[in-house]
Amino acid sequence: MKFLPFDHAIRNLGRSPKRLALVVAGSALVSFLLLGAVAFARGMESALAATGLATNALVLGAGSEESVERSEISPTTAEALAADIDGLAQVAGEPAVSPEIHLALPVSPLGRGAELDAPPVLVRGFESMAFAVHPQVRLAEGRWPARGADEIAAGIEAIAKVQGASLGSTVLVAGEPFEIVGVLAAPGTAMHGEFWMRLDRLALLTQRTTHSCVVAALGDADFDDIDAFTAMRLDLETVAMRESDYYARLTEFFAPIRMLVLVTAILISTGGVLGGVHAMYAAFASRVREAGTLQAIGFSRAAIAVSLTIESTVACVAGALLAAAAGLLFLDGLAIRFSMGSFGLSVDGPAVLAGLSAGVLLGLLGAVPAILRCLTLPIPSALRS
Amino acid sequence: MTGATAAADAAFIRCTRLTKVFRRGDTEIVPLRDLDLEIPRGAFVSLMGPSGSGKTTLLNLLAGLDGATRGELWIDGQELSRLSRDQLARWRAKSVGIIFQSYNLVPVLTAYENVELPLLLHDLSRRERHERTMAALETVSLVDRASHFPRQLSGGQEQRVAIARAIVADPPLLLADEPTGDLDRVSADLVLDLLGRLHRERGRTIVMVTHDPLAAARAPLKLHLDKGALESTRVDSVSMEGARTAAGEVAP
Repeated sequence: MKFLPFDHAIRNLGRSPKRLALVVAGSALVSFLLLGAVAFARGMESALAATGLATNALVLGAGSEESVERSEISPTTAEALAADIDGLAQVAGEPAVSPEIHLALPVSPLGRGAELDAPPVLVRGFESMAFAVHPQVRLAEGRWPARGADEIAAGIEAIAKVQGASLGSTVLVAGEPFEIVGVLAAPGTAMHGEFWMRLDRLALLTQRTTHSCVVAALGDADFDDIDAFTAMRLDLETVAMRESDYYARLTEFFAPIRMLVLVTAILISTGGVLGGVHAMYAAFASRVREAGTLQAIGFSRAAIAVSLTIESTVACVAGALLAAAAGLLFLDGLAIRFSMGSFGLSVDGPAVLAGLSAGVLLGLLGAVPAILRCLTLPIPSALRS
Repeated sequence: MTGATAAADAAFIRCTRLTKVFRRGDTEIVPLRDLDLEIPRGAFVSLMGPSGSGKTTLLNLLAGLDGATRGELWIDGQELSRLSRDQLARWRAKSVGIIFQSYNLVPVLTAYENVELPLLLHDLSRRERHERTMAALETVSLVDRASHFPRQLSGGQEQRVAIARAIVADPPLLLADEPTGDLDRVSADLVLDLLGRLHRERGRTIVMVTHDPLAAARAPLKLHLDKGALESTRVDSVSMEGARTAAGEVAP
């Protein structure tokens, strides 16, 4: 089969700049939305994966494996674990065992009222061993909160969640004022969007006598020993999991949200699909006679269909490339904050590929109605149109 | 082989009981009914008749753009109804050049590229394509307009580009559908001169549908269709002596 020259398709793109702009814009919208949805999913997955380390064991309340925020364990658990398990990582001669409280609490700016109606943010109660088990966390500014003080450290994205919050300012946590004395950074992890306060102060604030979990850095210890510890110490009513496994399960838990985002993106992009296909249809429909002429000259319908498909695909891929550029420029790293922390949208290879694929697919399939319109007419009718 | 059969085999175009029926709902339209016609190789034929007489339908059948409902159509020894759609496309590329009333040039291509278009269907090198394209443009005296786009050409120039496109692949049959219909007299005369030259100097078989008596007068063989049947035939040239209809209506 003899095809029309490639540049024939390219030059045809310039025939109607307005229609070309519509096709490109439609494709860009579809690609951008799908790229955004995939970037959302990828960002969430990567943040949760980076938050949990395979070298850490997480001991939490039996029955609360799905959510550490619902977990309650005895405050003696950390001490018992440190005493019973050999080979745990050591910091200054002490086993790296970090008792923690994880709670979603309302955090609001001071003096705005309706403090308890503020959106919940994850507040983590910590002790100094927390830095040994969470090496991703570092102090970006200020200092860490002191024991017993009304002080709090805020993750960089956590500060952004609360209007007017900054280093040195005071925020209301569950209605009580706390001064932000430090800014913590844990880029790429959910902890980047958390507030951290001393364990004793958070326990006092929430009138809580239990902890949420204990995080232990395994070092040379065997995870199975910790698993056995939780099985043997029935009085503690705990279970052990690798921290990475916990966040992997959390990733699964949020799968419906990712699906919802994807479905929403697809639904919204339907408008872009229809706009693009309609513009393409209109652009090709006005060239029915040309398609008839090319057939009269001797070009096969398949050759003309290929040329029209190239034209449509090039326009849509141009839109998809614009969307990819916009995604990299405006979406990559954009913080999404939710109750258990935050994550940045990840416009990585798979996200860009999804956007480009959407453009290519739109180009290939979007041309079909127009091609049918152009090429199903008998040639004499096409020449008269 | 009888004498009549031998004569029929010598015909370049032979229609036998050629019928075309269009159906629109319950209505049946028959623009061509049992047409018998033979046209010898190298004839220049004008096809006249009132609107709806079937002349454009006949031209479409001759071009292989449409299929007959009944009957046979042989062109240069090839029975067209036996060809598939793709085979017809290949046959058109090799055997027919079509000239349309409204030129039908591709607007995004230059005159040169429009003329070159049919050559892309042939196995020719770029150089061969260039030589043949330039030769065709020279034939229609438009070498100096080779790089012009259709919108930069007058109607007469566009039609001459269309003629160059029709002849560039050197097809034995040229079909022209009202080639002067959209042109002023001067441009029309130029186009008709060109067609006459192609007939005289290159021996092309030309079938031209026209409403214009002056255009028709340029063709040595004049056919008049009415209601899908051949009404009359007139031959103005001794070279057309071989032109006959099955009914034998040859006028001096």
